[in-house]
Amino acid sequence: MAKQVQKKQATVDYTVRIAGEGGDGVISCGELLAQAAARTEFHVFTFITYPSEMRGGYSMIQIRLRDMTIYSMGSLVDCLVVFNQEAFDNSKSILAPGGILLYDPAEVDIGDKSGNFHLEPIPLTMIAKETLGSTLGKNIVALGAVSHILGMDITLIEELLAERFSHKGPEVRERNLKVLHAGIMAAQNIRINLDFRLEDLKPAKADYMLISGNQAVALGAIAAGCRFTAGYPITPSTSIFETLTKLLPLVGGRAIQMEDEIAAISAIIGASFAGEKVITPTSGPGLQLMTEQLSLASMIETPLVVVDVQRAGPSTGLPTKTEQSDLKFAVYGSAGDSPRIVIAPTGVEDAFYQTIRAFNLAERYQMPVLMLLDQSIGYRKATVKMPDFDQIRVLDRGESKKSLKIPHAGKIDIRWRTEPTEEELADYRRYADTEEGTAPMARPGTPGGQYLATGLEHNEYGYTDQSPGNHKKMSLKRFRKMGAISRELEKNPIEFYGDPDAKIGIIGWGSTEGAIREARYMAEQKGIAVRHLHPHTISPLPTKQISLFLLRLENLIIVEENMTGQFAHYLQARFRMKPISIRKCEGTPLTPAEIYKGIVKVARLSDEYNNTYF
Amino acid sequence: MSTTTPTFSRPGVKPVWCPGCGDYGVLSALKKSLKELKIAPEELMIISGIGCSGRFSHYMDSYALHGTHGRALPTATGAKAVRPELTVLAVGGDGDGLSIGGGHISHAARRNADITYLLLDNHIYGLTKGQTSPTTPQGYQGITSPYGVAEEEMEPLPVLLTYGVSFIARGHSFDLPQLTDLITRAIRHPGFSMVYVHSPCVTHPSLSWEALKERTKPLPEGFPTDDVMTAMPYAYSRDPLYTGVFYQIRKPTLQERLREVEKRACKDTGGEPLDSSVRQIMQRFR
Repeated sequence: MAKQVQKKQATVDYTVRIAGEGGDGVISCGELLAQAAARTEFHVFTFITYPSEMRGGYSMIQIRLRDMTIYSMGSLVDCLVVFNQEAFDNSKSILAPGGILLYDPAEVDIGDKSGNFHLEPIPLTMIAKETLGSTLGKNIVALGAVSHILGMDITLIEELLAERFSHKGPEVRERNLKVLHAGIMAAQNIRINLDFRLEDLKPAKADYMLISGNQAVALGAIAAGCRFTAGYPITPSTSIFETLTKLLPLVGGRAIQMEDEIAAISAIIGASFAGEKVITPTSGPGLQLMTEQLSLASMIETPLVVVDVQRAGPSTGLPTKTEQSDLKFAVYGSAGDSPRIVIAPTGVEDAFYQTIRAFNLAERYQMPVLMLLDQSIGYRKATVKMPDFDQIRVLDRGESKKSLKIPHAGKIDIRWRTEPTEEELADYRRYADTEEGTAPMARPGTPGGQYLATGLEHNEYGYTDQSPGNHKKMSLKRFRKMGAISRELEKNPIEFYGDPDAKIGIIGWGSTEGAIREARYMAEQKGIAVRHLHPHTISPLPTKQISLFLLRLENLIIVEENMTGQFAHYLQARFRMKPISIRKCEGTPLTPAEIYKGIVKVARLSDEYNNTYF
Repeated sequence: MSTTTPTFSRPGVKPVWCPGCGDYGVLSALKKSLKELKIAPEELMIISGIGCSGRFSHYMDSYALHGTHGRALPTATGAKAVRPELTVLAVGGDGDGLSIGGGHISHAARRNADITYLLLDNHIYGLTKGQTSPTTPQGYQGITSPYGVAEEEMEPLPVLLTYGVSFIARGHSFDLPQLTDLITRAIRHPGFSMVYVHSPCVTHPSLSWEALKERTKPLPEGFPTDDVMTAMPYAYSRDPLYTGVFYQIRKPTLQERLREVEKRACKDTGGEPLDSSVRQIMQRFR
């Protein structure tokens, strides 16, 4: 039995879900709510399902409010707002007992009225029609109603509405306010006892942002000193590119939309060779197109940052749904052995810092860094504290061997590629076989630094050399970097949580961190001790940390969102263990409850086994 | 800038080209042109593709990138976009440029980045020993077309005119003074310039180079180079096969257009980018 751990409980933890049809304005309504909540001291966490098409299809936004850090979107919803039948059918199982169901009775037949909910019919469509003469605007009716229920400061909502639609003129603004108030009126009679009123809360400190994972990546790139991107739009990564096209010109940078993904990665290879930091965002199908150029970047050793916002596959798959199924492709996808670094952020704030880290790794180790960002992180918005800007520092040449610490709010080191000294330029060997596997990279324009970067096997000077001895030497050189990175990794704090003596262990990667954490808390409440390892670096693996984690473990659960258990397979290939694989392949994130169920099952089987053996 | 005249040679690197290959001529024309333009080796970036002509980057003292098949143009575009002060050349052959890489030409023309593309057409895939290229004459019996080429060959120059490439010239490796002049003018031209060069493959000839030489004729004296429609029939003509500058216009380069974008984006700060960037950028996301 594990020791009982006292955890600080949140006093307020409330989740609202708004669901309807694509085109209903569901998401814009929810985002306004989230923005308003983010202006208070509360933490905000959203989860969004976009339909793939322009109109029609199920569309949903879920907003979780909490007075402590939020790790996942939780499992149940306290207030469910549904615009149509499909939304109700898809979401009804997720409403917590005692929760509020706000629905449009003209569109939704709730059928069997049993169930411990507060039913609040509000004729959204009718009110919109009566107030404005059209059904457009029913999302603002809903917004009014929910704001009233949450006790929101109405002037704040009015302000945000005005901001969002300011470009459409004063008449539109007036209409929005009218229909907003109609919604508030309609909700007047709803009496729900909540432990909080958003209006009474203190405003958030000035240093918080409300951003999506995708926006976090774009901001991370800019913070790291990247001033060039070449990209091609692909759902769900496009907003990274859009954010960069908007922000880069403001800081003297350049963004070019290329004709396809192959052109995009080619352009950034050219720009990196020319001396600059570069990034290109894409998703699974785009990454597949980029494979050849990734191998080239490995071979000619150009620093590169490529972001794969993972979506459900294979092929066109489910463009707006999340999955963790590009792992093997990211690690191994290459003709020939081409080393690359693969990292996976675990949340929105983490995406910001991991992006900066990606650039540091790329610059130091001169190879492609692939960042696998789950779509569920890319799309959702969360409150993130701004970093301490005075602690952002560019490392100088003398610190080039210094170990790369993972950036965080209190300290961000920025690394640039090492250029050759005058002495090194006298007999410049771009691909010198060094201890760490990398050699200084001359910046075009530097006299004496001219060199050939070729995809053919080459010698230390860069000229082609296809002799056996040379190929072995250079292949080892390129892979020696992975060893150097691995040793570096071990110097960072272990990414491990929970009871170090627990016999049940969970390993996850990417976006599942929050859900696993909450599941662990639930298990600990029930007296089940669990330990949890969540590596941010997928390639190379932090092998020492994992070996240590596996010591004296009786049951290992590996959690991931794909069908074939790619991560489990990948770890099994390196470590001797037989994991229990919890996999979800539905396009939606794993919930704490789903993982908790798995833990309980394993705990029960483990107890039975131990009891019967003796 | 170095004080001695650079040779652009890479000592100790022997070209793989066969004796008599047209590419030797292009190489010497390019070196001559660069010396005339007083471009230093460290200011030069050469991006090449796969094939005999792709090996160009190996033989020139420069910052050279020998990349994958067909992607020299987007790679060169990226390089120029971040280092506009350097001279960026893309070099490739008929397979690299017109087959796998064909799709990129139109977009390079649209962007009009100030790069120069030397397309060396030897009407065959020479390095890999004689497979057909998009410009191999129909009926030629080659290694992948033992019963004769089934497809029609393409006519590249009219395509380039239609794409709106802002400088188009055709030359030959057997008329080096003319070629040197064309290359010099192409590099001088602000915008995307293409020099299409007939460069004989002596080991796998898919046509009679003698006959081609016979048909060659420079464009008439005073040829107007600012009109696509005037140039079209000359671009299509195979006999005579015209050489010289077919088209040259001045339109905004990619760099100029991106600067305009920057000015529009920064209108609140007098058209100039922010200094204390990161903090100000993040505050927009509150």
